[in-house]
Amino acid sequence: MDIKVGIPRALLYYNFYPAWKVFFNELGAKVILSQKTNKKIVDDGVLNTVDEACLPVKVFFGHVINLKDRGVDYIFVPRIVSVEKRRYLCAKFLGLPDLIRASIRDIPPIIDMEIDLYRGYNRNVDREIDRVGMIFTKDMRKIRKAKEAAIIAQNNYEKHLKSGLIPREAIRIMEGAKVVKAPDSGLLKIGLLGHNYNIMDEYINMDIIKKINDFGGTVITADMLKESDIEYGASCYPKDMFWTYGREMLGAGRYMLDSGIVDGVVIVTAFGCGPDSLIKEMVEKEYKRRNTIPILSLTIDEHTGEAGIITRLEAFMDLLRWKEVV
Amino acid sequence: MRLTYPHMGNLGIILKALFEGLGGDVIVPPPITERTLSLGVQYSPEFACLPLKINVGNFIEALEMGADTILMLGGVGPCRFGYYGQVQREILKDLGYNPKMVIVEPPQGRFKDFLRDLASLFPGLTVGKVVDAVKLAWEKMAYLDQMERALLVFRAHEAYRGAVTNKYNEYRDYIDESKDPKEVKALGLKVIEEMRSLTVPPVEEPLRIAVVGEIYFLIEPFPSQDIFKELNELGVEVDKTEYISDYVLSNIFPWKLNRIKKEARPYLNRVIGGHAVNTIGNTREFADKGYDGIIQIFPFTCTPEIVAQGILSRMSKDLDIPIMSLSYDENTGQVGYQTRIEAFVDLLLRRREMGSAHI
Ligand code: SF4
Ligand code: SF4
Repeated sequence: MDIKVGIPRALLYYNFYPAWKVFFNELGAKVILSQKTNKKIVDDGVLNTVDEACLPVKVFFGHVINLKDRGVDYIFVPRIVSVEKRRYLCAKFLGLPDLIRASIRDIPPIIDMEIDLYRGYNRNVDREIDRVGMIFTKDMRKIRKAKEAAIIAQNNYEKHLKSGLIPREAIRIMEGAKVVKAPDSGLLKIGLLGHNYNIMDEYINMDIIKKINDFGGTVITADMLKESDIEYGASCYPKDMFWTYGREMLGAGRYMLDSGIVDGVVIVTAFGCGPDSLIKEMVEKEYKRRNTIPILSLTIDEHTGEAGIITRLEAFMDLLRWKEVV
Repeated sequence: MRLTYPHMGNLGIILKALFEGLGGDVIVPPPITERTLSLGVQYSPEFACLPLKINVGNFIEALEMGADTILMLGGVGPCRFGYYGQVQREILKDLGYNPKMVIVEPPQGRFKDFLRDLASLFPGLTVGKVVDAVKLAWEKMAYLDQMERALLVFRAHEAYRGAVTNKYNEYRDYIDESKDPKEVKALGLKVIEEMRSLTVPPVEEPLRIAVVGEIYFLIEPFPSQDIFKELNELGVEVDKTEYISDYVLSNIFPWKLNRIKKEARPYLNRVIGGHAVNTIGNTREFADKGYDGIIQIFPFTCTPEIVAQGILSRMSKDLDIPIMSLSYDENTGQVGYQTRIEAFVDLLLRRREMGSAHI
């Protein structure tokens, strides 16, 4: 019997799932993914987290509960401190395993692998990966192989994203499916800014990408931009933005504005999100000062209604089209 | 150069002593009022944490009084505070102010760099001047903290409403005006005795509550509508986990945090930014010390404290101590949490009665 590791389809799943999956598979474990976000998952999450938490964290809790009900042996709840040198993630990622343990009772053991690249990829990082690997095997060679395979998978995944695929398409390709990129459905290029778990979870954002497509737009996300473009945008601000995904949003937003590669920008943030409250302000301010490219800001929470999003998006797209004509 | 900085409890008094001692021209922002708050709220991002908004209000009011240089701390995350100054600069720019913003980035533990940054603001500094200024500021910090500690206990038993508070305020002004460290000390010791003399001994063993949470809220009473006073006036003795000297010292000597980190470890395995690890570690300590209850206060959307909040509700069960979490935003009006606080105090009283009935 293979050991079953549950991975919540939430938060940084959208950024790292292929690597995680390969890692556990190579160690001989079977990976069980929680279901796609649905009403029950959101409700369970809301019920089991503090009110003040942001929607993405609540949704993550819902996915953990979903996995608990599916008979897995372990649940993967990494403590992701930092995914690159000298930058952090939001405080909630740093305390996630502690928060899960304190809040949900009777769950399978958590694999709380600490991912901390703040000081680069060093011995501590290796040691932590080995610690987790040893849950599954005593064979260090196997662990090393799993590590290497994970890094390769991650590189491939990021390549797919850069080529213009969105996470769900890229993941399907990597799992062997044939995905034909739909031809650009529209003339309007829309920069879509936000954490992947906000812009890529079709349930919580009412499938915003499809809506933009339906209204005749093609989406460009930060993941699809070259790192040098993001770096250009981020370096327009005097102080280095110390959150990885905050910097991406800030840099991509500024690059899109300065380069004019988009017709409009939609920025999606979660209600009550700490970091985004500041990032969004910085991005929006510059757009408003220049007044060249329109920007639409959408806030999502568990009460967000589909109608509201449609109306605002439609009006926004109309505005862009009207601008084109003039 | 006319220098200003944001308010945070008595910190303003201490900084004024320091900067004036260094030869600066200091504009202390007017005390925080509803106007400060509404200015801040009007011009800050909606979901920014409340301290940022109140800072902005302070800055605008100080700029109106002619300040032209703003001193602010920076940081490297993961909590938002490190980016405050950047956002505030942009906000002020759009309002047409163009103050010089000096954002002191504290590479943890390198006090020397901090001093060097400061020195660049004050031409004509001499070592003697620095020593005197630091000495005066240090003494003010030490005694203001002691006074406040005493206030939070004595006010629970004041002879008549306002007696202790008024005395405290009176002496705080004297200390603010004083230019002599020895005098500061004498004033500090004297007011503690005077406050004591304005109390009546409690009939029963008073309740003791520890207030934990976000640092700005612990030090600055305004945004919580002075929960400390509210509790005191219900007859509760209060301790809070952070005073200004704790804040300053843990910035200069980061290893001071080690004890608290160890306390927190079973529940929170690492520092996650802000003061979450202090909140968790201190809660354990205060539970051990036999406090009757713990109240956590923090601004709505404060990421580290939200994590702490989730963990605290578990600790409350494990450690068998009532813990209440209160998050505040600008709409938490005057009466905001009054009923909840009163109900919490009632609960503690009932628990105590039941406890003694069991003996
Ligand atoms: S970055 Fe924002 S949305 Fe993401 S976990 Fe932190 S608070 Fe929540
Ligand atoms: S600790 Fe909380 S309130 Fe303070 S800056 Fe950080 S997020 Fe804001």
